[in-house]
Amino acid sequence: MWPSLRHRTLSLSSGAIHQWMSGLNRSFCSSVINATSTKGNSGNVVELLNLEEVEKILSDVRADDVRVIPVRKQSEFTNFVVVATGRSQWHVRNIAQALIYKVKQKQTGAKRMLLPSVQGQEGGNWIVIDSGSLIVHALDEKARAYYNLEQLWTSKEQSQNQSQELDQAFVKVRRKNNSKKPQKQCA
Amino acid sequence: MIQPQTHLNVADNSGARELMCIRIIGASNRRYAHIGDVIVAVIKDAVPNMPLERSEVVRAVIVRTCKELKRDNGMIIRYDDNAAVVIDQEGNPKGTRVFGAIARELRQFNFTKIVSLAPEVL
Repeated sequence: MWPSLRHRTLSLSSGAIHQWMSGLNRSFCSSVINATSTKGNSGNVVELLNLEEVEKILSDVRADDVRVIPVRKQSEFTNFVVVATGRSQWHVRNIAQALIYKVKQKQTGAKRMLLPSVQGQEGGNWIVIDSGSLIVHALDEKARAYYNLEQLWTSKEQSQNQSQELDQAFVKVRRKNNSKKPQKQCA
Repeated sequence: MIQPQTHLNVADNSGARELMCIRIIGASNRRYAHIGDVIVAVIKDAVPNMPLERSEVVRAVIVRTCKELKRDNGMIIRYDDNAAVVIDQEGNPKGTRVFGAIARELRQFNFTKIVSLAPEVL
């Protein structure tokens, strides 16, 4: 009896996970505000920051050249990568501080505060705010050009499409006659 | 299980090819380093015309070990080689790309930068 019961609970839990995942999909696609009202209050680790808030904060602190890259297909460990540039090391640090402040503000009154992991805060060349499903990279201009993160993440997507392009390349095409010789000599 | 005198491959495009561990950072009398630990290493072999040279002392993070890595769910990960990624004092990687598969544990050890440069995360 025990194995069967266990099996049932397992299947139940997997069903719940599926539901949760579909809910997540929906929340990211259409109704972001709804998702915050339900999940932000429950203090879920996954929902420390959501995409809309991050975009708003980054525009408030005037981060340059913000790019949001959806990476759910390519990587299992996160859903979105946000890359932003700061003008100086102070600016980059301020971007990180603003995001952390927002997380703290969201959880005021909570017994235990959950904070995202922040790396590279002393340096200010490249700061990563890792809040589970959303990773924010704040870089200065030099570091951004050096590491070239967007190209890395977007080219992975392209490599999957490349095989299709290769197939097309092998389709036989009749060569154009570019020779300037008169037609009679060719024949 | 990386200890002083262990030779490691380099899993990035920093310009070093082979490292030798000379010290494990973190405790005074630690014997072995595992995935996610920072070591001090000497460059034993380097690519010509790159900023890093032979016999230079650098810091590196271990990303792959032949010794198996056990997870709580019973999964065991073991690689064919010992490999490390060269970092600077602040934890930024010296190279711009990481090669090969990398364990997810690095993210928990606060090396999200290396994980985000890697092509494959196990």
